Amino acid sequence: MADPTLAATPRLIPLCALGGEIPRQTSFGALTLIERPDVALASLAPRGGMATPAPFGLTLPQPGRCASAGDMTALWSGPGQWMIAADGQADTDFAAAVQAQAPGASVTDQTDGWVWIDIASAARGAPLDRLLEKLVNLPPAALQPGRAARTGLHHLGVFVMRQGADRLAVLGMRSAAGSLWHALTQAAQRLETRP
Amino acid sequence: MLIPHPLLGPRDAQEFTYLGDAALLNRPEGGDEAAFHAYTHLRDNPAGPHRELWYHEQGDRSWLVVTRDTATHEIVAAELAMDVKGAAR
Repeated sequence: MADPTLAATPRLIPLCALGGEIPRQTSFGALTLIERPDVALASLAPRGGMATPAPFGLTLPQPGRCASAGDMTALWSGPGQWMIAADGQADTDFAAAVQAQAPGASVTDQTDGWVWIDIASAARGAPLDRLLEKLVNLPPAALQPGRAARTGLHHLGVFVMRQGADRLAVLGMRSAAGSLWHALTQAAQRLETRP
Repeated sequence: MLIPHPLLGPRDAQEFTYLGDAALLNRPEGGDEAAFHAYTHLRDNPAGPHRELWYHEQGDRSWLVVTRDTATHEIVAAELAMDVKGAAR
């Protein structure tokens, strides 16, 4: 006979921010949107009087900018504060790894607070520029490659990060992942029918 | 309305929330009740340049001291509140 305690134990399945067991992905024309549950995030704020750390060899970027080295990305999130991201490390204690790189700084794990959506273009930068025109109220120069901004998008506070001419990432509140996905996919879909 | 953020350049005023008179930065020390009453309740209401606190809520979360003409809404200056406060110390 089966063990009754085992039968009563629910099978716990890790879910992505958008509710699926596998990350969501969709394409409209040249644009592909991919949910990225594998990216680990931690915020880093050096304390007053500390030298600016260089975690994992990253040079922490100036206001409004982001910088990448290998699988690591740093983006400026406010005066004296950065967000550090690592591809493929969401299952690890990434905040502890960042803390070890910046002893004495304030480090907070942010991985499960956010949904990370990559948007890639198969036709260089123009479709992404058009998409950003529709979505964020910023001058185009603020979102050229290497730039990052925290701004409002459909009344949601988001980070928008342009890692390259043909790719960008949008980080939004995990609890509003569905609304953010809807806003992004709807804008991309409209661009497909009316570029 | 655009607010010229000192670090990030022009940003939509909708990204900000408004607090009020920048005199709020100068909280009186000690137990002077009259001074604290004035700090809490009494505000000038100028028709012209006004220094006021704005919070970049949908942005980098910094507090700004914005000098705005209340008659025309022209924004004359915007500084980081921490710089203003630091300079006053």
